[in-house]
Amino acid sequence: MKITWMIGGAQGFGIETAAMLFGNAVAKAGYYLYGNREYYSTIKNRHSYTTLKISDKKINSTDSIANILVAIDAETIFQHFTKVSDFIIYDKNVESVDIDSIKSLEYEIEEDAVNLLKDSGLNTTVLDAINYAKKRGAKSIPVDYKSIIMQIMNKLNIPSPVAERARNTIGAGASFALLGLDINLLNNAIKETFNDQTFYNLNMLAAEAGYNSAKDYLNYYKLNPIKINSHRIQIDGNTASAIGKIIGGLRFQAYYPITPASDESTYIEANQLVKMQTKEGIKEGGIVVFQTEDELSAINSAIGAALTGTRSATATSGPGFSLMAEGISWAGMNEVPVLITYYMRGAPSTGLPTRSGQSDLMFALNVGHGEFPRIVIASSNHEEVIKDAAFALNIAEIYQTPVIHIIEKTIASAYSVIDEDTLNADNFEVDRGKIADNSDDYYRFKFSDDGISPRAFLGDAQMFHSGDEHNEFGHIDETSQNRVKMYEKRNKKLESASKNISIDYKFKFYGDKNAENIILTWGSPTAPSINAIEELKRNNIDVAVLQIKMFNPYPKEVSELLKNKKRIIAVENNYYAEGAEVLTLNTLIRPTHYILKWTGRAIADDELVNALINVIKGENKRVILDDK
Amino acid sequence: MTNNIDGIKDEIKYRTEYTDWCIGCGNFGILRAVELSLEELKLDFHNTVMVSGIGCSGKLPHFLTTKISGVHTLHGRSLAFASGIKIANPKLNVIIDAGDGDTYGIGVGHFVSAGRRNLDMTLITHNNGVYGLTKGQASPTLKRGEKTKSLPKPNINDAINPVALALVSGYTFVARGFAYDIKQMQHLIEEAIKHRGMALVDILQPCPTYNDINTNEWYKERIYNLDIDYEVKSEKERDKKFNTAIQKAYEEDKIPLGIFYKNELVPTYDDRIKEDIENYLDYPPAIQEIENKGKASTIPSFIEQHRVV
Repeated sequence: MKITWMIGGAQGFGIETAAMLFGNAVAKAGYYLYGNREYYSTIKNRHSYTTLKISDKKINSTDSIANILVAIDAETIFQHFTKVSDFIIYDKNVESVDIDSIKSLEYEIEEDAVNLLKDSGLNTTVLDAINYAKKRGAKSIPVDYKSIIMQIMNKLNIPSPVAERARNTIGAGASFALLGLDINLLNNAIKETFNDQTFYNLNMLAAEAGYNSAKDYLNYYKLNPIKINSHRIQIDGNTASAIGKIIGGLRFQAYYPITPASDESTYIEANQLVKMQTKEGIKEGGIVVFQTEDELSAINSAIGAALTGTRSATATSGPGFSLMAEGISWAGMNEVPVLITYYMRGAPSTGLPTRSGQSDLMFALNVGHGEFPRIVIASSNHEEVIKDAAFALNIAEIYQTPVIHIIEKTIASAYSVIDEDTLNADNFEVDRGKIADNSDDYYRFKFSDDGISPRAFLGDAQMFHSGDEHNEFGHIDETSQNRVKMYEKRNKKLESASKNISIDYKFKFYGDKNAENIILTWGSPTAPSINAIEELKRNNIDVAVLQIKMFNPYPKEVSELLKNKKRIIAVENNYYAEGAEVLTLNTLIRPTHYILKWTGRAIADDELVNALINVIKGENKRVILDDK
Repeated sequence: MTNNIDGIKDEIKYRTEYTDWCIGCGNFGILRAVELSLEELKLDFHNTVMVSGIGCSGKLPHFLTTKISGVHTLHGRSLAFASGIKIANPKLNVIIDAGDGDTYGIGVGHFVSAGRRNLDMTLITHNNGVYGLTKGQASPTLKRGEKTKSLPKPNINDAINPVALALVSGYTFVARGFAYDIKQMQHLIEEAIKHRGMALVDILQPCPTYNDINTNEWYKERIYNLDIDYEVKSEKERDKKFNTAIQKAYEEDKIPLGIFYKNELVPTYDDRIKEDIENYLDYPPAIQEIENKGKASTIPSFIEQHRVV
């Protein structure tokens, strides 16, 4: 069972609140959901939308075609009227608005819409666009937002700008009626969200009015509540990473504001006081979140904090990560455990600052001058983000080297419902690696078989660090004799990591090992790839999925899984199929087919299924997805 | 002496590193003044970290005979590393040793921000007007029109005024020393370390190899000791003492040495963090027991705020 719901409107006017209310209500009925958010790099006014997929099974991706479209304004209709199958809930008062009058609509979108409408013999008003959708089977639900707002305004005796804020809730109420779930679920979500009595009343009335506007189609989807006996949480990717880090023992986070990374740091700051179960009983610990003057300071202060024995991290995206390169090289040279959470967005340069991408994998793997071990891991959904973030703090300390945790923008700002007990959050193992037991005879960079020297912290023993090549004590040493050993010692740690890190953190395999087609992917395209296994079975196509999680050290053992396949299909959100390139570098195996997308938008379930059919039945070697 | 596992003698730990600065370099004086200050204040690796930048000055921690821990960082970033160390473990004294290129050139953003935060740290800047280790290019403190011996053309940029920049950035202790006056430097460094707040000791330093203008003789003709009441003891004194310091910072024909300004009334970064984390100083990030019997000690109850079911 799957229903995709989409709500769109101008940014800064409550789209996200409405999506959250609707999502909370659905989640309370026992359903899972995944909400993908798309927005421009602006504070207010431009078109933003959330696509929320509802299912009785755990999901981590959405469809590109919505069953229900809730349009708060006219622009939303023109942006999405070709991508809705069942219902358009829209503002009756904007029916006559012509596409030409919407100045915020980008030229390319306007041109496509105008051509499509004209070719279908229609004019270019909102009503024409709705008629276009209706011809293709959708039903329309006009809602008189204006008079509903007026009624609420008069009833609550509040000014119109305040009342206007409930527009989105009207849309949420209308669509909730279609699901057939108890309206009290929505009311409870409102109750939990709004503490202020006026806003509570306002949203309750708006939800009710919306619900009543859609009475013609009441209970259309006939959803029944599902009984849940355990707890579920709803979080986005920024929060997931923050939660993972906090559980993992993070106590210092440095950051410079950047989209889409900053929300993680502000979350940690808001939750900086944590309870700790120590030998002496329960203590309260404080996490310091340090907002720096730039990303140079963010990475280098995080490194400094790590030298004191503090679990330490930063979070950034491409432009900031570029500035961190020199610091990461220093951390590699000085064997400092520091975690860099890398939120990948549309690049190069400022690129598509609020959109997603996977185009920085090679950069993450090669960041910083010189040869040193950088452990690079990538998560594909919120549950993985939490677990990987906590795990990353462990491996940073065990191997005493920078760890880069890749999360894409689409995962960062999307949200989903997770079963709390799958997180096993109160049972997380902390491994601090080798700690020095003798601080008197201490050598920070003591040679050892696995390349790992016991760590002491600043203040506990005498030690030196230097970005220059150094001897075991940490003093500068340029001799070949020392260089040979010290250089090898550092790089040997990667072999140790490769040997000792459990396979679950390296890669995951989904589907039948004997399937003749295999999707090779990583990060956000993993979820639509897993979804495709069942969908393609219905088309008698046998496909399995190999998700790479750790790119350095690379799990070369995956080459076994790729043997004797008819097709190896690389699915990625970039141009060069960077994940597949890394596979080739490490195993000499090349994909046979590619499905690539670099629009900045995530790959959707339905979009990938169509592309896979195109690849497998049409023997199309390289399919480019363009959101059309 | 014992042998460690690879047969290299423990000399790497117990010998004095060879000090590879040029003969006559002002760094020797600064090194000695730092050593004397550390000894006088009984500072060693148990309670103190020396963080340095890149250039001739950056090697100073390695050359100290005092038992100290040193972190030799990146060009311009010593303040950033130091801030992380200090915030994570406020029990440590953090002394930063950097060059004028480090401090006022590539790292000037960190220099300004360190003042805004008023972290309780001491910054000692070796100010010699040139980038010595790269063969004598103009540093941010070389005056416009000056042509030191390895410059092909006279310096095209105006000089930064370190004392004035520190003052307007919020440094709560600002002093200037001279690299050949060890006694005065020792005094300034000790006062800076004892000061609660962000301290700058800018040290004028001849570079006998590349700066043939600002030589020992050149300085000797111009330097004199400040005789001002520099310490702000109540809020109402602040403007007057700050203005005097600024005025003195801009004296050019004669170069004042000593303490320009001191103000302990401004809350330090520690104080500010304590507003949010009450037990921060007693239980800072570095000493929190994040592990308990192999498990995370952090209780994940904060997750409950996200429950929908």
